[in-house]
Amino acid sequence: MKHQRLLVLAALLLALPGRAGAQESARDIIDRVDRILRGESSHGIATMEVVTENWERNVTMEIWSLGTDYSLIRVRAPKKEEGTATLKAEDDIWNYLPRVDRTIKIPASMMMGSWMGSHFTNDDLVKESRLIDDYDIEISFEGPRDGPEVWEFLLTPKAEAAVVWGRIEYQVRKDDLMPTWARYYDEDGNLKRTLDFGDYRSMGGRLVPAVMDMRPEDKPSERTTVRYSELEFNIDIDQSFFSLRNLRSGVR
Amino acid sequence: MAPGPWWRIGWRNLGRNRRRTLITAAGLAFGYLAVVLLVGWMEGLTAEMIESGTSTLSGQLQVHDLDYRPERKIYDTIGGRDGADVDRLLGEVAADPAIEAAAARVFGGGLVSSGEATTAGVLVGIDPARERRVSNLLRALTAGQPPEPGTNEILIGSEMARQLDVDIGDEIILVVPAADGSMGNDLYTVSGIFRSGLAELDASYAMMPIESLQTLVVLDPNRIHEIAASTVDPWLAPEAADRIRARLEPLGLGIEVEPWTRLRPEMLDYAQLAQAWNWVIIVIVFGIAIFGVLNTMLMATYERRREFAVMLALGTSPLAVARTVLAEALSLGVLSLVAGAIITFPVMIWFHNSPPDLSFLYGDYTFFGALIRPRLRVEYSLEMWLLTGIALLLTAIIASLYPAIRSARVPPADTLSGL
Repeated sequence: MKHQRLLVLAALLLALPGRAGAQESARDIIDRVDRILRGESSHGIATMEVVTENWERNVTMEIWSLGTDYSLIRVRAPKKEEGTATLKAEDDIWNYLPRVDRTIKIPASMMMGSWMGSHFTNDDLVKESRLIDDYDIEISFEGPRDGPEVWEFLLTPKAEAAVVWGRIEYQVRKDDLMPTWARYYDEDGNLKRTLDFGDYRSMGGRLVPAVMDMRPEDKPSERTTVRYSELEFNIDIDQSFFSLRNLRSGVR
Repeated sequence: MAPGPWWRIGWRNLGRNRRRTLITAAGLAFGYLAVVLLVGWMEGLTAEMIESGTSTLSGQLQVHDLDYRPERKIYDTIGGRDGADVDRLLGEVAADPAIEAAAARVFGGGLVSSGEATTAGVLVGIDPARERRVSNLLRALTAGQPPEPGTNEILIGSEMARQLDVDIGDEIILVVPAADGSMGNDLYTVSGIFRSGLAELDASYAMMPIESLQTLVVLDPNRIHEIAASTVDPWLAPEAADRIRARLEPLGLGIEVEPWTRLRPEMLDYAQLAQAWNWVIIVIVFGIAIFGVLNTMLMATYERRREFAVMLALGTSPLAVARTVLAEALSLGVLSLVAGAIITFPVMIWFHNSPPDLSFLYGDYTFFGALIRPRLRVEYSLEMWLLTGIALLLTAIIASLYPAIRSARVPPADTLSGL
């Protein structure tokens, strides 16, 4: 009996640092993936195709980002919405409406609202960059999945984090650190939406997924597809670029 | 009852101790007053709730596309994607005899912003001229006026105005997801501010000309979400809805016509509960009265034991003796009823026409999402007046059954010999 206890204790002692190490490395991998996709700063042009039961539309936009805290998105087409812009600075989102020449700040109550009519929410813009802060991350699977070696991560929200998902599953290819999909579940464990990555190609000197495809689970016929046509990294840009004044002035 | 001297005997007996008769009759009369007034007040409260709950915004009857409720999606307009002949629909709805007026509405939901402040709002596109006859909101303006058709004017709630820190003439921005997927946005001028007293309405509703909202959310002019109608009497709404449904059926638009009783079933439940309470009030008030009358009648008959003994000794049947007592009680009941009516109706007419204002005691309050004014409003109900009168007479009779039986059983010989 005593012997057994000792063995258990020894096993625990051995296991603990090992588990902590796994947690660390899961975070590290996600962090590394994030850095590849984001760079220090970036600038690109993307087309967003939104398909719903009631309408379809294409929006072309120009996107700047700096670190995880700042991004500016300006609509280039269609004509009707040209110049409409979104500024994300830390936790806040402002929209600029050229038609009325005003900026409005999205209130907290509307964070779950759709961004530009797409299947992305305002909250996605704010929170997407903070997965590492808001979630505990562990590797739920490691090995070959339909061919290539992958990691699958299970992200569960930290107790104090104000997040909307019950958990997120995230698959990353091992060899090139490219994400393949992310699945978002509600607090009851139901799959709510799936984000698929694809069309991996070299842009701005690094391999990135040029296409992101978001599909809501409850409406299988709907989707939002974002396709990057141009992307460059580590451009000459600083925090002053992401100002309300700049949002309003309409940089071309 | 067979004609005979029993009625006269009963009636005259009332005059033997006038003070006692008067006090007993007063008790019953006040019982009548209490029941009629309480019931009238409860019906007044119910009527106030239904009127306030339905006429503030919703109307007593609504027409929608079958798919519209409960999600209220912007695409589910009446007649689906192709829309409908709105004027014709309005004409058909208004043609029903129970309908007072009908108005078309468009709804949208989005951001309302001014300066630094932004809030979520429910936008209602209305035809101000028609809307005025359907709902009360346009009459509840604290400042300014309703939006003028053909302009970008907007009427907002007082709480929204406070949150956005805007006043009449100020500009606000609306950003609304449109039916084509774009973000409709435009500048509007605040033309008026309303205060309904209902927190939700005052904080998040804004009304604008219907065609202005249709443009903002990219809906054709023949696409509307709702036709709301007011009825001459809220209780006529369910039948009116059936008739209108039948009338609109041939158009094949796939629409629903719902009266407030189905849109707001909880209000109907409450109204029915209140009616059930009427009976409880009758039973309690007259239940108490029964014992008062019983006491009086027992006294009155006990005093007359010798009299009954003589009657019985002279050959009057016990049944006839009981009859005189019952006749006395019924006479008392009729007397009380007349007295009750005389004191009740002036009070009812007064409370009905100018309800006492209790706002010094307590302020407005909301009840099932309806704003209730602190007034002692009473409603007339002929049915309840008759029922209460019958209950009063029954009370008198039931209370005198026991004294009547006792009187009929007075042993003549023993009583007359002074035992």
